[in-house]
Amino acid sequence: MTGHQMSEPARRLYDRCVRIARAASSLVPDWRREDWLREWDGELWFRASLLDRRHPIDRLASRRLIIRTLGAFAHALWTLTDEMRLDPMLQDLKYALRGLIKRPAFAALVIATLALGIGANTAMFSIVHSVLIKPLPYERPDELVYMYGGFAGGEQASVSPPDYLDYRARNSVFSSLAARTIFGASVITGTDEPERVTSSIASANFFATLGVAPYRGRGFLPEEEVGPSTVAIISYGLWQRRFGGDARIVGKPITVDGHSLTVVGIMPPSLERTIDVQVWRPIGFNTPETSTRRFHFLRLVGRLKPGVTIAQAQRHMDEIARGLAETYPENESWHLNLVPYRDVVIGSVGPVLFVLLGAVGVVLLIACGNVASLLLARASARSGEIAVRTALGAARGRLVRQLLTESLLLGVVAGCVGLGLAHYLLAGVRAMGAGMLPRLAEVEIDGVALAFTIAVSLLTSLVFGAAPALHAVRPNLAAMMKSVGKASPTRGGAHTRNALVVAQVALSFVLLVGAGLLVRSLSQLQHVETGFDSAGVLTAEIRLPGDRYDSRQKTDQFWVQFLDRVRAIPGVEAAAATTLLPLRGGGDTYFYIEGQPPASDAQKMNATVSTVTDDYFAAMRIPLVGGRSFTSSDHGNGAGVTVVSRGLATRLFPGVSPIGKRLVVDFGKPFTAEIIGVVADVRVYGQANGAPDVLYFTAGQPNAGFGTGVMNLATRLRGNPATIAPQVRAALHAVAPDVALSAVESMDSILHDSVSAPRFRTQLLLAFASVALLLAVIGLYGMLAYSVAQRTREMGIRMALGARPTVVFRMVIRQGMLLVGVGVVLGIAGALVATRLIASQLFNIGPTDPPVFVGVASTLILAGLAACVIPARRATKADPISALRLE
Amino acid sequence: MKPLSLSALAVLSAVSRSVRHGFDIMDATNLPSGTVYPVLGRLERDGYVRSKWESQAIAQREKRPPRRYYEITANGSRALAESVEHYRTLGDRIGLTPDKPTAR
Repeated sequence: MTGHQMSEPARRLYDRCVRIARAASSLVPDWRREDWLREWDGELWFRASLLDRRHPIDRLASRRLIIRTLGAFAHALWTLTDEMRLDPMLQDLKYALRGLIKRPAFAALVIATLALGIGANTAMFSIVHSVLIKPLPYERPDELVYMYGGFAGGEQASVSPPDYLDYRARNSVFSSLAARTIFGASVITGTDEPERVTSSIASANFFATLGVAPYRGRGFLPEEEVGPSTVAIISYGLWQRRFGGDARIVGKPITVDGHSLTVVGIMPPSLERTIDVQVWRPIGFNTPETSTRRFHFLRLVGRLKPGVTIAQAQRHMDEIARGLAETYPENESWHLNLVPYRDVVIGSVGPVLFVLLGAVGVVLLIACGNVASLLLARASARSGEIAVRTALGAARGRLVRQLLTESLLLGVVAGCVGLGLAHYLLAGVRAMGAGMLPRLAEVEIDGVALAFTIAVSLLTSLVFGAAPALHAVRPNLAAMMKSVGKASPTRGGAHTRNALVVAQVALSFVLLVGAGLLVRSLSQLQHVETGFDSAGVLTAEIRLPGDRYDSRQKTDQFWVQFLDRVRAIPGVEAAAATTLLPLRGGGDTYFYIEGQPPASDAQKMNATVSTVTDDYFAAMRIPLVGGRSFTSSDHGNGAGVTVVSRGLATRLFPGVSPIGKRLVVDFGKPFTAEIIGVVADVRVYGQANGAPDVLYFTAGQPNAGFGTGVMNLATRLRGNPATIAPQVRAALHAVAPDVALSAVESMDSILHDSVSAPRFRTQLLLAFASVALLLAVIGLYGMLAYSVAQRTREMGIRMALGARPTVVFRMVIRQGMLLVGVGVVLGIAGALVATRLIASQLFNIGPTDPPVFVGVASTLILAGLAACVIPARRATKADPISALRLE
Repeated sequence: MKPLSLSALAVLSAVSRSVRHGFDIMDATNLPSGTVYPVLGRLERDGYVRSKWESQAIAQREKRPPRRYYEITANGSRALAESVEHYRTLGDRIGLTPDKPTAR
């Protein structure tokens, strides 16, 4: 500042005070700040120089100056609020706030309704955004292509390792082409309990192709593509869980399936969120298994070179495939099937999610309808007040703005509440939907969803604040003035509210039909005949380590010993093992009827193979429909026997008994088996899929099947199957202490889980539809109640003139039900169009299933009727005297 | 007209006695700065006082930043008189001021 003749201590005092005043000035509105600060500066300088006249400076006086300067904060605060008082917008806000506090029920209803719509929308939008829209956590994910093997028998098969190597060497469209196995499982033993994990064998360039860098250590090296592998890469999750996040695990050995492997790297958490694999091993291309073109077990991932489209790449790879087929006869019809990588990760949930997003959008629309109706009613009730204010000279624009401020305030508060609600909804979805939605772990309320919420809440409140506001300030002052204190409804408002109710009923009809269809479809799915009795069956998977159980004799011996121990557990009625547990899937192979070998590959017959112990059918209660089951007399290397599923038997031998017929089955080498029995069809691949053809073989015949190293236990017992899990574990421990018992689950819960995805979406849609119904009913009720309240005088006069209460009652009911009826008719039309969207999700019923339409229509009509009854009854109670007194 | 609050009355009365600067008014009224300034602001808004900056010439001569000073307006004088009357009557009614006139 100016001045120079002040002493050092006075100067310091002055500086300190100015700092305080400056800090306080941050509260002062910009345009007043300089002036404000100058006043303080002038006074402070003056005072400080006054104190400076005495030396040394009076300490008490200087302290008092500082305390006085602290008053600058009060001054600044006052200036700020004074500014606000003058700001008409803030004044509107204050007025709006006061208005809402004065009508807490109105405010709460509006906020709750909007918050429900906004919360559900934010949650759903967050899910859609995380799952469908957000890029995959890989480098430039749009360049990534997933490749299935394709052949005459299917387009989603796999690729053989020699074919992969040829594709990798010959193609010029991918900057990198990698491969890995799917459906792998391994058991980790060692320090802790044996643990089953998912595992995959991958080409060395797999991680580099995705663009995922190791979190610790390194990826695989090209020279490690030689078997048998001695290195492994583990996932972040496994590292944290089993190895306590100890970075020293890199370079140390772990035991996987009985083999010691050195951990060379740890992958980042992002990889495990999209690929559920805990242990990675490099593929060795020099083993007999990986050198056979007939063995297809790899899926490929390629990164397109810049500028190459997926269609170009497909054409290029097709050419290579044709070249391979010319050289190798077994490659006949084999090719690659390229799809964008994200389509594979997302799977089939895209349409489902968009349907759900549409459903919550409809819920929001209905919620907005209610809010609009409430705001309209409110504005109508206040039309007298507004007319008076207009007459007194209030500017029309100002009134509109004030009403808008009120709805904006409602929107903002509802947006905040809705955001909180969305947080809890998402937590619920994460808990409920685990395993049913891809990328669920990535789901969170993110910036985009937040922006979306804010936009929705502001738009909603502005749109529906504007309509009543404009309606409220229509210039018909004289009529409105007359209505002061009587508040009769205005025609326009009534029409708008009627239209809102019709729209709400129609929209909720559409949602309810959608939900109804899914519910019926789910119930059909759950009542599908599975072909076995799941009650009382405990299952578990056992994977014998290949190093110790290296022969069929050893594995068979294990199963005999282990099952004997399980049978000894009290309550166990039967214990068996199978390679093909229903709903868990298994392998398949080619076969033909003896004497009728296929002329070409295209005519080969294919069936699912299940190797079982002899009392498997008894344990699962799969009915024997012909012939006999396996017995110990079938064991050994004698004549092969098989039991076939009924569907297969009737297709192969129509009208003839299949018993005694012989099949030749391909287990690497041909195996001839006589059909000794026929059992019922079992829905091995889930209720939604038909029962496959199954060839059963006894575990007692070592030449049949694909080995017994990995089998599922199926134990039937009286009572709750879960209770004997510890005893089964103990039995296993007694026979083989280093073998893991994994996936211990009752058959009932496997069945339950198998429909969890459809159940999940059904529950979500049902929840949305219920909310929609509730909101629509509230909307109808609110509209009628309001209308009745407005017409009290009319009702009173009618009754004074001799109308009986039943006439008035019927009049109100008719008014409400007319709207419901129109809504239902519109809803039927809408639903006929909209349900096509979910047609592909339906099982066994069509999208126009009449029972659902009839059921929903009657539900809505009943709910509508219930909503009408209370206002109608109230109308009959209108007191003619008090109604007339208003005149 | 609504009478002035007691602190407003004190401040306005000080200004009317040519106590013109914020800090001097604090001394004269024995009110804290957090009260005096908002009161001055309100009085100015209501048109009872007006504020001016002292001339740059004076400030420069005394080698200090200029100070803002307050003057009472005609409206202010009227409001002051009415409020004093109001409080005097009130004081009379509750027996606060027997007959001694207040310092003015």
